[in-house]
Amino acid sequence: MSAELGKAWTIARRDLRGRFVGLRLLIICLFLGVATLAAIGSLTDAITDELANRGQAILGGDLEIAVAQREATSEELVALRNAGTLSETLRMQAMARLPDGSDTQLVELKGVDGAYPLYGNFTLENGQTVTAPEPQEIYVTPALMQRLSLKLGDKIDFGEASFTISGVIAEEPDRLSEGLSLGPVAITSLDGLRATKLIQPGSLFESKYRIKLPASAIPREVGDRLSEQFPNAAWEIKTRDDGAPSTRRFIERMGQFLTLVGLASLVIAGIGVGNGVASYLRGKQGAIATLKILGADSAMIFRIYLFQIIAVALGAIALGLVIGALAPLAIIQIAGDVLPIKPEFAIYPVPLLVSALYGLLIAVIFALPPLSRAKTVPAAGIIRGEGKSWRQIDRQSWIGVGLAIAAIIALALGTANETLFSASFIGAAVAILLLLTALGALIRWLASKAPRPKHPLLRLALTSLHRPGAQTGQLVVALGLGLTLFATLAAIQTSLTNEIRSTVPRDAPSFFVLDIPVERADAFRAKVAETSQDAEVNIVPTLRGTITEFRGQRVSELETLPEGAWVLRGDRGLTYSATIPEGSEIVAGAWWPDDYDGPPLVSVDEEQGAAMGLKIGDSLTVSLLGVEIPAKVASFRKVNWRNFGFNYVLVFPPSVLANVPHNVAATIQLETAKEDSLLSILPKEFPSISMVKVKEIASQIGDILDQMATAIAAAASIAIFSGIAVLIGAIAASRQARVYDSVILKLLGATRAQILTVQAIEYTLLAFLLSAVALGFGLFAGWFVITQIFEFTWQPDWGIVLLTLGIGAVATLGIGLLGSIPVLSAKPARALREL
Amino acid sequence: MIQKNAASSDAAAVEPHIAIAARNVTLSLGEGTARVDILRGIDLSIEEGKTVALLGPSGSGKSSLMAILSGLERATGGSVDIAGADFGTMNEDQLAVARRGRVGIVLQAFHLLPTMTALENVAVPLELDGRPDPFEIAAKELTAVGLGDRLGHYPTQLSGGEQQRVAIARAMASRPTIIFADEPTGNLDGTTGEKIITLLFDRQKATAATLLIITHDPELAKRCDRIIELRDGLIERDSAA
Repeated sequence: MSAELGKAWTIARRDLRGRFVGLRLLIICLFLGVATLAAIGSLTDAITDELANRGQAILGGDLEIAVAQREATSEELVALRNAGTLSETLRMQAMARLPDGSDTQLVELKGVDGAYPLYGNFTLENGQTVTAPEPQEIYVTPALMQRLSLKLGDKIDFGEASFTISGVIAEEPDRLSEGLSLGPVAITSLDGLRATKLIQPGSLFESKYRIKLPASAIPREVGDRLSEQFPNAAWEIKTRDDGAPSTRRFIERMGQFLTLVGLASLVIAGIGVGNGVASYLRGKQGAIATLKILGADSAMIFRIYLFQIIAVALGAIALGLVIGALAPLAIIQIAGDVLPIKPEFAIYPVPLLVSALYGLLIAVIFALPPLSRAKTVPAAGIIRGEGKSWRQIDRQSWIGVGLAIAAIIALALGTANETLFSASFIGAAVAILLLLTALGALIRWLASKAPRPKHPLLRLALTSLHRPGAQTGQLVVALGLGLTLFATLAAIQTSLTNEIRSTVPRDAPSFFVLDIPVERADAFRAKVAETSQDAEVNIVPTLRGTITEFRGQRVSELETLPEGAWVLRGDRGLTYSATIPEGSEIVAGAWWPDDYDGPPLVSVDEEQGAAMGLKIGDSLTVSLLGVEIPAKVASFRKVNWRNFGFNYVLVFPPSVLANVPHNVAATIQLETAKEDSLLSILPKEFPSISMVKVKEIASQIGDILDQMATAIAAAASIAIFSGIAVLIGAIAASRQARVYDSVILKLLGATRAQILTVQAIEYTLLAFLLSAVALGFGLFAGWFVITQIFEFTWQPDWGIVLLTLGIGAVATLGIGLLGSIPVLSAKPARALREL
Repeated sequence: MIQKNAASSDAAAVEPHIAIAARNVTLSLGEGTARVDILRGIDLSIEEGKTVALLGPSGSGKSSLMAILSGLERATGGSVDIAGADFGTMNEDQLAVARRGRVGIVLQAFHLLPTMTALENVAVPLELDGRPDPFEIAAKELTAVGLGDRLGHYPTQLSGGEQQRVAIARAMASRPTIIFADEPTGNLDGTTGEKIITLLFDRQKATAATLLIITHDPELAKRCDRIIELRDGLIERDSAA
């Protein structure tokens, strides 16, 4: 057997020697697909690895205990200090004011102690590595310097304290674990922050206690021990191996989605591989028959060409891997600022190996059928001048294809974080492929049954669709997939654009205002009215608490949170109200009476209630400021999260929470012209408040959606390139038959324009039919991505979708006709000798 | 797997000096009303070392008979014994293996492998047969046909006559018992064709192979030991030249 393999390899190598021309399509398609997958996988791994490697610095410790709206008790502090070296930080949103009151800016204000940072470096732009500044001093980010036109040594006020800017922050090591920022960062000492008097019972701040553990300690175990010691503390505990879980989740999910888009590209590329191999082997029919005459059996023929295809495929895959492995370097250089963390460049073997395996399996799946047919080329054909007596694919090859498909599905599902999502994506891609294949067969059948048009050119165009050797099937799949991708991309892009536009509804408020002292709520309302009579102010109590129990189940004892129940993750905003909050409607249960004073009740958002499996009457306990409040579910509400008002998953009756220390928050809606004056007046009058400009949040959301759309478009554009390569390949594959037609037509007196018209009619017919099909598939795929993956509203711009599809159809038509130019230039005398 | 030495085991069935023995060979293509009978019962016996010309008009079945005798095609009926191997019972792959070292074929259109040099083209059948030193043998064979200085040339770098010389060297290299030549001068001019035929006969004599040559040329046929004429799938005349 090994001698036979050796013979096959020797002949394969000799026959291949530098002549890859026939396998160009295979090389291009595999290269594009593998490079895309390798690039996506490498970048995702680079970011998640960086998150893990820099876990201690990102988290600021080996272990982090975070708690909302309170600082640790002295008893808790003793326990935390006993665990290791402790560093404490406090963080809140606050308004920075220029001393003359001329300008204000919402800032993420952070107070740190002398031990900060336990890991990593806190550096200033002058290169100095620092820790907590002096109590009257503050370090600020360049963004804040720019927005308030500040310079070093200038004064800036927060609450009741005034600070001197003594440094510009270059790197805040734990930036990523701090989560979403509504404004630029300023860092002072703990004493400095306390001097602002912004930390009051009920004000919205977060205390974080980072611990540097002894080398032998396991963070998770220390965390569990502390949780057991203080079961009601409502801590959120993070460990160094997952310092920024939401960033990691986002990157993993985005990475997985893009990997599947890449895999779809590779499947399209696979069609190109199949067509390329089939076309290459058709060109080799003479050589195959000759080898058979010389004594090669079909197994030898199979081996020779399998070796050739695998050798070329491995070359293309290797090239794809090199480009894919280097791509993160380019992406980091070009778009590094968009990434949550700038990873160090490294080679990541696992995604490269997975991409290579995908490439090889796709090559096997699509190359085996034509290989199987090629080995049946009869030797006698060479004497008879037969070239088309290709036979059926044998059983072993079908088994090989089946095994490779099973392996690819296993690989896709085995490397997926969300198996069901991946399975449905693969299922949809395969279904579209099968439907297009079936459509190709249907079009051929219909063309063969349709009445023959009287006009000879029309008749020829129609018969071209179904004659033996017609590439209609391949053209339908290639054109169909290409147009489907155009429609899908247009639908996703326009839907995301509209999402950005509709993020801020017309009646959205101008400001969110946080941390208004409850006793000054009326004064606040009056002050706003002074500035603008027409301003609408909606004030709601605001507290933060953690759900510690639901349906008798302690949240801390859950191994994994129920899918979609994000409300169980950390502390969440909650409120109380005597009436049904604006933007909510009761869908189950009943709202409490205005003067309800009975046992604690709670109204829950219906989606989160469903995710937790809650029913009316179930128990739900929240921990506020270290006190647990057990309540019964009284109602479920449908919440309009898009109204840009204050919406809460949990709403309690006033009797339950009114006596808990808290502040109120407000939304203010007023004419744009008066926004700036309000922004300078209110912080002076109410130093504790934070004012968030809604337009700024909308702009941040818009930026994120834009980046997502760009990433999707970049990954999908590779699929379009593959589709175009497949299209060109399919046209090239039918070239010989078309040259023959063209030559015969020329002999009969047809002009080149008439010959081109025949092909234009054929492609137009296909493009017209396929545009309709692609619109259906593309809209479905776009709808799936927008509503099921990103959970946005489906709101494509129909005009742009149709226009894109039209442009796509015209472009593919153009490519098809360009591919026909060599056919037109065939010289009849020469072609007749060669054909 | 059919080996060449299977000839000895089949010796009882075929006379040792008979290279080709065909009994009532038929070939039909298509079925029902579309059925075409190409060969309608050929009986033929050719001794080792003889040269035989196969003549006949277009459609008489010459190429089909050669395809069956050389193992490129299976007969619909009858038996075919070629150099001691029962070709009639073999499938396509067994026929491919049985051809190694037993049958050499020269075709009108040369059919060299375009991606390989002259030397490699000649070495391929030897390599497939697992012969030691295939390149040495191939080089000698090419030198014997006058192409010792063209070993590294690709088919496109050779003239038509040179290409046919390579094809002859390739057919002869494994010292087959029988050489089949289908219109070997059909693509060549008169002078070159004459040289090729001379070379073919010279090599046949040198190797003592049986030569079956399909031709339309009566002059060429006269150079053979025997002339067989086909018409409508039957042997019309079988005579000494």
